[in-house]
Amino acid sequence: MKTFLKKTLLPAALLVGTVLSVPAIAAEDAINVTNLSYRTGPFAATGTPLMNGQRDYMLMLNERDGGVNGVKLNYDECETGYNTEKGAECYEKTKATSIVTQPWSTGITLQVLPKSNVDKVPILAPGYGFSPMTDGKVFQWAFNPPATYWDGASMILKAISDGNVENLKGKKIVLLHLDAPYGKEPIPLIQAYADKYGFTFLPIPVGVKEMQNQSAQWLQIRRERPDFVLMWGWGAMNVGAVTEAVKTKFPMDKFVGIWWSGHDGDMKSVGEAGKGYRSLSWSLPDSNSQVMQDIKKYVVDAGKSQIGEGEFDWVFYQRGVLISMFTVEGIKAAQEHFGTKVVNPEQLRWGLENLKLDEAKLASIGMSGMIGPFSTACNNHAGHAGAWMMQWDGGKFAKVSDLLSADQDMIAPLVEAEAKKYAEANAPWPVNEECK
Amino acid sequence: MLYRTAGQFKTSYYADHALFPVRQDAMLLGFILLLAFVVFPMTADEFVFKALLVPVLIYALAALGLNILTGFAGQLSLGTGAFMGVGAYACYKLVSIFPEMNIVVAIALSGFFSAAVGVAFGLPSLRIKGFYLAIATLAAQFFLVWLFEKWAWLYNYNSSGAIQVPNIDMFGVTVAGPNASAVVQYYFVLCVVSLITLLSINITRGRIGRIWKSVRDMDIAAELVGINLMKAKLSAFAVSSYIVGIAGALFVFLWRGAAEPVLFDIPLSFRVLFIAIIGGLGSILGNYLGAILIVALPVVISALPSALGLPVSSATVEHLNTMIIGALIIAFLIIEPHGLARFWAIIREKLIMWPFPH
Amino acid sequence: MEFLNSILVKPFSDMFAAPDFLIQVLWEGLVAGVLYALIALGFVLIYKSSRIFNFAQGIMVVFAALTLVGLHEKGVPALLAVPMTLGVMFLLAVAIERVVLRPLVNQPDIILFMATIGITLFLVGFGELIFGGENKVMITEQLHIPTGSFEFEPFGGFVSIEQKDVTAVIGAVLLVGGLILFLNRSKMGRAIRALGDDHQAALSVGISLSTIWVLVWFIAGVIALATGIVWGARAGVSFALEVIAFKALPVLMLGGLESVLGAIVGGIAIGVLEKLFEIYWGQPLLGGNTETWFAFVFALIVLLFRPQGLFGERIIERV
Repeated sequence: MKTFLKKTLLPAALLVGTVLSVPAIAAEDAINVTNLSYRTGPFAATGTPLMNGQRDYMLMLNERDGGVNGVKLNYDECETGYNTEKGAECYEKTKATSIVTQPWSTGITLQVLPKSNVDKVPILAPGYGFSPMTDGKVFQWAFNPPATYWDGASMILKAISDGNVENLKGKKIVLLHLDAPYGKEPIPLIQAYADKYGFTFLPIPVGVKEMQNQSAQWLQIRRERPDFVLMWGWGAMNVGAVTEAVKTKFPMDKFVGIWWSGHDGDMKSVGEAGKGYRSLSWSLPDSNSQVMQDIKKYVVDAGKSQIGEGEFDWVFYQRGVLISMFTVEGIKAAQEHFGTKVVNPEQLRWGLENLKLDEAKLASIGMSGMIGPFSTACNNHAGHAGAWMMQWDGGKFAKVSDLLSADQDMIAPLVEAEAKKYAEANAPWPVNEECK
Repeated sequence: MLYRTAGQFKTSYYADHALFPVRQDAMLLGFILLLAFVVFPMTADEFVFKALLVPVLIYALAALGLNILTGFAGQLSLGTGAFMGVGAYACYKLVSIFPEMNIVVAIALSGFFSAAVGVAFGLPSLRIKGFYLAIATLAAQFFLVWLFEKWAWLYNYNSSGAIQVPNIDMFGVTVAGPNASAVVQYYFVLCVVSLITLLSINITRGRIGRIWKSVRDMDIAAELVGINLMKAKLSAFAVSSYIVGIAGALFVFLWRGAAEPVLFDIPLSFRVLFIAIIGGLGSILGNYLGAILIVALPVVISALPSALGLPVSSATVEHLNTMIIGALIIAFLIIEPHGLARFWAIIREKLIMWPFPH
Repeated sequence: MEFLNSILVKPFSDMFAAPDFLIQVLWEGLVAGVLYALIALGFVLIYKSSRIFNFAQGIMVVFAALTLVGLHEKGVPALLAVPMTLGVMFLLAVAIERVVLRPLVNQPDIILFMATIGITLFLVGFGELIFGGENKVMITEQLHIPTGSFEFEPFGGFVSIEQKDVTAVIGAVLLVGGLILFLNRSKMGRAIRALGDDHQAALSVGISLSTIWVLVWFIAGVIALATGIVWGARAGVSFALEVIAFKALPVLMLGGLESVLGAIVGGIAIGVLEKLFEIYWGQPLLGGNTETWFAFVFALIVLLFRPQGLFGERIIERV
């Protein structure tokens, strides 16, 4: 009967909403860094240590140095539960206050990516997101240091072929991946490799609902008898895959995961049986490094950390520390370049575009050897750092290779083509013409 | 006092059947429309548009579609999310195949695709009833989401498998895509939603609506008085899926800007179902009330601790949020199983009487 | 021709070409089917006695498993943690009956169904608040469940059968057997069945509704714990387990909402068929992952011919 009477409650909701969305006025000398975290939901197991690492590094800087050049870092989290819808809501809520957006899932990244040109807040997606984002001419506001999934795929192929991809000729390679944008990322590149080097490539998707019940996928692997299985897995999928691999008697040393599939917490539940499993990692945990010792002293021992037992030594916790370091180094670079203390998002964009993380720099911040040196530029937003192979020895991950590097000759044309395709599909899309 | 109906005489059946037999209702509606069309756009900021106003409208529209099927025609469906997906993907394909097409036309057409799919999956309803039918609609839910994932043509062979909304202009104003402003999108959604609501009111009050209600109340009796059950049920599926499909197209094009198949998975269906049931089955007003509650409440709850300065971690807030929503659903069902719409009806009755008890 | 060959001939020739592989597929399907049957059984018991379509069965599985593992982490010996978890499930049953069901007596089915979704959301939030979101390891060894595997080499191939899967199947058979005995032989069990047949008549001969409801929800809790242990031993315990509840729904459609036997037969049939379809048709022809919908579509097709499910009570329309 009464059509629109429905909206009587809206004014109330609106009122509350307006009150709540008024940006918290930042303290005089502070920078807000809000992380779209996920400590809940099906992927919480892998998310939590990463978020803890990010948080603890920022806390440590505040405690030890009083922030970055005297500017405090207000680290905050907006919980998404790895849910794209909640992520988009968090983005809307935080974009006015936070100087950087860390979307944390490829789905959320794709969602906020088109808005970055309009809202002018840099997106930092370390080691995830859309691989062509490395093309900074097209994706001016998106950064995915230190390496993209395509870099990762290239390095893994190099590692399993003992340095020469020609060796893979005639072999069969299976990609076991999460059936979501994240898992599909490496497919075009591996396919390009397969076409060029003459190996058979077979992607096997694992649905989000099937993560813990992968017997069909592993039966298929058993039937196909591949020479190698690569894994782009996440959260509960990693445990499921390794458990099934053990059951299927698939040789563990032929089973290699990307950096998000090398989580101590996941492997702990498999223990000894997972011995030999390898995972690529762009970060090396080093609990005795200066930075980790400082975190221990100022944050963990002071009872300010949220980490659980043994988590301090985990790959993912220390990777979280490195991820916060990217933001902090970006801020530092911007502060120096613009001669200001409290940088704004646009200045941070410049900072992230001019990261110079060489050996000397890493040593000066106490992170020697924890990450491969790299630098970013206007046409290179990823930095294409190297990575190491880590092997599970039954109790922890240990480094088993030298620093690998990706084959940019294979990747670059694909990046250019995909970035162009993206810009065309989203026309008018601004491109940074000044960048050569 | 405010709602006194004394003195409003009806002198013809026509007047008695008017949309607003009570003058105050029309005035209240006018006031709300004034709020929606003039006051909100002037006062709201971007966050309020994107996190509250636009989603409330779109979810209300989806719930309206579901309500026509479940509340008016009595066929329980758990596949709403997937039908929204059909609308969204159809609209995406239309826009990418015919870039010149007006977005309004594309959205209106995309509804037909979801209506067709809806009718196809509605066919079992002729044989299957009750919860068996509800589970059968889940077949649509899971199958369609799987199809969105596997059928690369749907997302233009894009490597990530997600769809992105391009910038779309209408009469020189960008209405969809990253460059669109929130106010424009809000007005667009508001106009579409108002129009469809008006149409739905007329459909449900008219002949077809009465046929649906008779099928809902007792299908055998309806059949005995000469109603063609097949036509009635399938038309309900068609109209419902059409509206749901349009809601899906708006969902992606005017609000989210990008979508991956998981978005249309079962949680979305449940969310819309919550809205329809908490709002009130068989009511049109209820969908809006339900949407306000289900969409806005979590946003408000998650913002509360930081606004009050409580030191609660965002993860804990999220856990509490889930718990509170669950508890609230149960509480609402216990207090008023017929939904918020009935709640308002009771208040209105009281208001008409007030301040005299008789 | 090519097409017909690939759907009608090739899958079967593949099956005969590698019989050891086929046996493995069937076994995997059987184990999955037993688990689906267990969850479906929880649904059926509650539906039979109270006409409630209990969507919360899935989260009860997670909740029971998490409680068990959580108690063990707190230092409770495994064999003591099991009865304690059962105690928690009993309290949960009482709480649900008091807080949710009692005020909702006589409401339409869909309202009760929504209420169980409300319970699901509440338990998800509550569980994550208490136990955290991490993936936990089921305390398989502490519960004395064997973890090795039997290996056979029929037809020159190899088949590996996990001992814990065997335990699961045996456990499920014992549980179901016990349940059927309980329902048919004990006084309480007969009361449950009476309530399922005719509410009013059952009430008039003095059967207490609230006692039976608590009892039924508690039994569903016991089944949830059993399912949680078995499934948790296969893949770890986390909230991602909750989605297996959806797998039980087509089983219910197929078997009929009221039939215990239907839940078991339907569960096993769906477990085996979906695995066969995925391996021999889904993966080669459809790009895989067909397990998400196969069971639903299959049940839907069966239902078109038998609207009450394979074992459901015949629907008689009275005017």
